Amino acid sequence: MSYGRFLLKRGFQGILVVWGVVSIVFMLRFITPGSPVDAVAPLDASAELRQRIAEELGLNQPLYVQYLDYLWALLHGDMGYSYISGIEASQMVFTKLPATVELAVASSLVAITLSIPLGVISATRRHQPADYAATTFSLVGISTPNFWLGIMLVLLLSVEFGLFPTSGRAYGFIEAFRILAAQGVSPGLDALWQWLRHIFLPAVTLGTYFTALITRLTRSGMLEELGQSYVQATRAKGLPESLIRYKHALRNTLIPVITVLGLQLGTLIGGAVITEAVFSWPGLGTTLINAINVRDWPILQATLVVIGCGFVLVNLVVDAVYAYLDPQVVAE
Amino acid sequence: MISPRTLRNLRKELRSSALAKIGIVLVLAMLLVATLAPFMALHNPTNQNLEENNLPPLGFSRATEETTSEMQNGSLVIKNETVLVNASASHPLGTNSLGQDVYSRAVYGARTSMMVGVLGTLLAAILGVSVGLIAGFYRGRVDDALMRFADISLAFPSLVLAIALIGLWGRAAVDIPDPFVMLGVVDPVRSALGLSTGMPDSFVLPGTVIVVVGLVNWVWFARIARGEALSIREEEYVKAARALGASDLRIIGRHVLPNATTPILVLATIQVAAIILLESSLSFLGFSGTTLSWGFDISQGRAYLSTSWWIATVPGLAIVFAVIGVNLVGDWLRDALDPGIEGEGGV
Amino acid sequence: MADEILKVRNLTTRFFTEEGQVNAVEGVDFDVRDGEVFGIVGESGSGKSVTALSLIDLVETPGRITEGEVWYRDAELADEHRDSHPEAVDGDYVDVRQLPETTRRWLRGPAFATIFQDPMSSLNPTIPVGEQIAEAVEVQRRARANPRRTRSRTQGYGLGRLLIDSVIPSRNYVSDESHERAVELLDRVGIPDPEQRAEEYPHEFSGGMLQRAMVAQALAGEPDVLIADEPTTALDVTIQAQILNLLTELQEEEDMSVVLITHNLGVIARMCQRVGVMYAGEVVERGSLEDVFENPVHPYTEGLLGSIPDLEDPAPRLSPIEGNVPSLLDSEMGEKCYFADRCPKAMESCLHRIDERDAPSTLDGVDHKVRCVLADREYDESEALDGATAPEVTDD
Repeated sequence: MSYGRFLLKRGFQGILVVWGVVSIVFMLRFITPGSPVDAVAPLDASAELRQRIAEELGLNQPLYVQYLDYLWALLHGDMGYSYISGIEASQMVFTKLPATVELAVASSLVAITLSIPLGVISATRRHQPADYAATTFSLVGISTPNFWLGIMLVLLLSVEFGLFPTSGRAYGFIEAFRILAAQGVSPGLDALWQWLRHIFLPAVTLGTYFTALITRLTRSGMLEELGQSYVQATRAKGLPESLIRYKHALRNTLIPVITVLGLQLGTLIGGAVITEAVFSWPGLGTTLINAINVRDWPILQATLVVIGCGFVLVNLVVDAVYAYLDPQVVAE
Repeated sequence: MISPRTLRNLRKELRSSALAKIGIVLVLAMLLVATLAPFMALHNPTNQNLEENNLPPLGFSRATEETTSEMQNGSLVIKNETVLVNASASHPLGTNSLGQDVYSRAVYGARTSMMVGVLGTLLAAILGVSVGLIAGFYRGRVDDALMRFADISLAFPSLVLAIALIGLWGRAAVDIPDPFVMLGVVDPVRSALGLSTGMPDSFVLPGTVIVVVGLVNWVWFARIARGEALSIREEEYVKAARALGASDLRIIGRHVLPNATTPILVLATIQVAAIILLESSLSFLGFSGTTLSWGFDISQGRAYLSTSWWIATVPGLAIVFAVIGVNLVGDWLRDALDPGIEGEGGV
Repeated sequence: MADEILKVRNLTTRFFTEEGQVNAVEGVDFDVRDGEVFGIVGESGSGKSVTALSLIDLVETPGRITEGEVWYRDAELADEHRDSHPEAVDGDYVDVRQLPETTRRWLRGPAFATIFQDPMSSLNPTIPVGEQIAEAVEVQRRARANPRRTRSRTQGYGLGRLLIDSVIPSRNYVSDESHERAVELLDRVGIPDPEQRAEEYPHEFSGGMLQRAMVAQALAGEPDVLIADEPTTALDVTIQAQILNLLTELQEEEDMSVVLITHNLGVIARMCQRVGVMYAGEVVERGSLEDVFENPVHPYTEGLLGSIPDLEDPAPRLSPIEGNVPSLLDSEMGEKCYFADRCPKAMESCLHRIDERDAPSTLDGVDHKVRCVLADREYDESEALDGATAPEVTDD
């Protein structure tokens, strides 16, 4: 099979999964006690009013009509209007999305740049102080609930030393660059600085678990790869140790690490939700929790659909990278 | 199921690994504390005492502003004084904003965590292993359908799904009578030890949380069980059993399941750790049926971070130690039972 | 008379395991001459492969070379180290073991190249075969271009360089010239359509083709000594002959010396001029092929030769040696001759350690050495060890 066909096949499977995701989100409403009317209608609403609301929301239609309407609307990017604020759900979700993506990307970057060297050092200096430090860090890192870590960081760095703001998001990353372009260097840099100050603690909070996890995976993977016979054969042909470590062993280590990361993406998004709650970060997580608490169905559905589809999309990318790095995957 | 060779490997690994020993000690300690909570707690964890709120742990003190007013020479003098609140020996880890004993709450929190961790994992394992074995054993369309469904449920992060389900279904909780209180042994023992009596006579089983946690984590078990079933069904002895007319259920029960035990056991341990973390996240966000939980206490302590840091710190440390313990036990099992998962390099 | 390219003296390699110290290679001596194929033969577990790894200094923990010298003839290298490491230089020879680590590594390729038993596990599965061969070319090219830098730890190739190489789509580490050379080498070892095969991955090759590629990779450094560790064991019988032919052909054309390690006496008989027989980590008998195969002195060699079917004399005279290779655990090895327990001709004088001694030799200038008392004397039944009731066993 060629690489292109492999991607095509995976893409098709991805579309199936997306369809499943939106269907489950649709069904969620029907396995939930109570009616969406409750969320909209005033407490003392008459039966007629409730009837009218139900009609307006399309709840009187047969199930399959509601489902097809929902799919059709979704295809056009229409996810309904918030029951509470009346804002269009898609617009609401897409204004909140950048904050979450920023947080997830920033913490992933922190995690990847720290963890891979840490794992390599740990594996190549096995049973030395650096290895013990790295393994201890990674054990504690994967065992610490990130919301508590966030609170402790706030306690230490914000409350005690006042280094970082305790919560909120001053500017978006793109917004900060717009200010840089529109208002000049000084306010622009200030906006970027504010952005950095605000995202630092949330990114560290969310990134620590992944730093720890990837360190562990890289370490054990490197140890396994360095024990393979091809590494010995590569040494026998006189290659420098750094080339053997990085080009051969590390590359092969990262292949399974990438798969695990794809699977752990859910943990990243879940972690983002709770990190947002700790730092009042105005992203999808806070939107989701609010929507659940007030039963704002359109917003809830839109958030879940975006999260689910985002997961599928990122996993497609992961698969593509994986297949690029390991040619045997495409062959199978 | 567990062969003498397996036991030998476990013992050998345990002897050579200090970390495995630490893990077992931590896990046993947590289980002991959770079980014997009514004897380990210093106070009833739900008893409020607003006179003694926000007491610091032993060795610390808390500064607070106290405003006093008095008449001096006919005029009212208002004084702002900084008063030090000192620790109390009866509350070694301090009290929270309601004057509840932080230590005793952590002890009872262990119950919730351990229960959700174990029961949630059990539920996830039963669901996932059944689905996985059926999918792997029958293959074909059943397999395709079940695994596609697994892919779809993976697309929802477990925390997100759990929040959504609990938020929508409500936070059902079951009150379970405390067996020790029922037996009437708690008060006599406690008074003999010179401790306050009147411990809670029931504890809350956060039912929805357990069900949801099982529902959102079954996929991992399904994947492993399916993989094992796929490979084992091709073994000669399974084919032979089938040729002899053994029923599918018998083959699965007698041959496939026992062979899949080891990886399932290793995964279950890792899942207990993940579920303890998930439970604490849920109760931190307020999506739990009980207030006696580490996550809930952390969320309560957050508001008093600048004055009373211990309220959020103590339950957090409890989580970290519990999860480290479970993770270390998981590492031990994996290294001893399945060196294939993580090779150690060298000869 | 040919000169020695390699003189191995008292090479001793031990593994320090949890169960105890394992004496995998015990005081091994042998020479390899210019342009010859020297065979090392023995059962599995006799220390052949560890000997090979010890030559190129690739014994991995918990193993360690504890003693011994590996004298390699290289006048230039000898001059270079005469002042800095006088103890490591003797005439034109250098003791590789006493050279600094970087120099030792640098010798892999141009001095010693190695072919391993299983080509599939000896190549990185995720890098095209051609690129892996080109790496072996490139490392030598860089060494010639800039000897000093090449001997540094990273050889000018650190993590930063790797990152850049990974982002910019160019050949990782290898230059175009090296890649062309790799294609030439593939052609040289008889791989059809080398241009295209160079871009393929190990899993797209058959076992025989992959072993040819391994040979090509070994040739990349233009080595003086080619160490082939069971090069045909993992292959089909028909392919084995092709690979052996290829090795013979290349050895003659390139004028290399080959150290051929195998458990297969047929391969030895066909390929080698001189041979060493290993047992329990020791070379028990060595000499010319004629001496060792026609007039073996050591009962182990006799037994080994007795265990191959004779095609010209189809009468079943197969006589496998009783018992197994002994445990190499130091604590269990004791002081007697390691073969005494299995030896049909064990005598009381075998109860202490036995040094190498001369045995009758038919060829001028080729030693025949044996680690056995029978080199000096005849077997005397009256001194036979209890329990070693052996003549019957051989006649069995």
